[in-house]
Amino acid sequence: MAKLKVIFENGDPERVVEFDPAKAPFHHDGQPGSILDVLLGHKIPLEHACGGNCACTTCHVIVKQGLNDLSEATEQEEDMLDKAPGLTPSSRLGCQAVIEQPDAEITVLVPRYTINQVSESAEDEEASTRDG
Amino acid sequence: MAEPGEAAFGSRPARRAKVDRIFDHNPDTRSLFLTPIDSRPVRFVPGQFISIAIVLPDETRTRAYTIASRPEDGAPFEICFNRVVNGRGVEWLFQRQVGDALDFIGPFGSFTMERPPDADLVFIADGTAIAPIRPMIHRVMSMPNHRRVNLLYVASKPEHLLYRDEFESYAASTPQFAFDTMIAARTEMHERLLEEVDRRWVKADADRTRQFYVCGVGKGVVAIRDVLRSAGYERRAVHYEQW
Repeated sequence: MAKLKVIFENGDPERVVEFDPAKAPFHHDGQPGSILDVLLGHKIPLEHACGGNCACTTCHVIVKQGLNDLSEATEQEEDMLDKAPGLTPSSRLGCQAVIEQPDAEITVLVPRYTINQVSESAEDEEASTRDG
Repeated sequence: MAEPGEAAFGSRPARRAKVDRIFDHNPDTRSLFLTPIDSRPVRFVPGQFISIAIVLPDETRTRAYTIASRPEDGAPFEICFNRVVNGRGVEWLFQRQVGDALDFIGPFGSFTMERPPDADLVFIADGTAIAPIRPMIHRVMSMPNHRRVNLLYVASKPEHLLYRDEFESYAASTPQFAFDTMIAARTEMHERLLEEVDRRWVKADADRTRQFYVCGVGKGVVAIRDVLRSAGYERRAVHYEQW
């Protein structure tokens, strides 16, 4: 069995999922067997505004353990990650990073901010300024 | 009135919009014009999308729909979509009526153009993937002294070339805007598009200063990206979004 541990930077409680990668897909969004697929299939939320189609960075995660047990990032994922705030060398998109090894032990951190939360905050500030 | 879909977005607060108007481009393609009920404007950059809560009998899903109108147009804003096989999201949207409400979050997405780059621009789209490109083109064409713009637009049928009048109007009004269309069966669409891209912007000259915005369905988008980048265009000069 593979193990996926999720740490939420916003302080939500850690979650751990044990699963058999061969049984993917677990849900209908993201690549089958991806971090997003596994989490949603086990009722653990991870934002995915584009529906898990590698068209935004809301499912950005930072891999703390087990980076080599994930599928290799495609150029498309790398292009998208370039636009993620708080990018690190072990950043991946949850919708694209597939857990391939049957005994993988993966730990990911879900950052507090996505680019959209950043922009929404800016919008709120602008709106409050305009509204006086 | 649609059932609320707040639960689809976790802790992120949803906004609600009502359907102001419906426009059918053809039997398979529809635009919904949406006005936020809270009257706050939806501030977006050309190319961005919203995430809509699709309220199905067994679950609520979130699906992304690109805003096809211009930010400057304000409310209502327009989303455009077409029927797809097993597309439960679009079927749900096709069932919405004027006055119905839906919940959304966003805008999102980084396939955008805030300010046109100082370069000749090439836009490539297929079918409804013109949606993010349409407001980009309007943004460019609203700028004084804009650079040359090419739009290469492919669809499986002539009636699936959306907003055609707008683009033909630009082409008629200035030689700085070139509008070319292709009709191709879905099975051969990307191959033909790839050949055309290779002929026009790889083999025709050695200019590698253009910037590209490519949007479409399937792996053909990535194939175009690879052809352009391997031909010497800079990585960041080839913007793309694969649906």
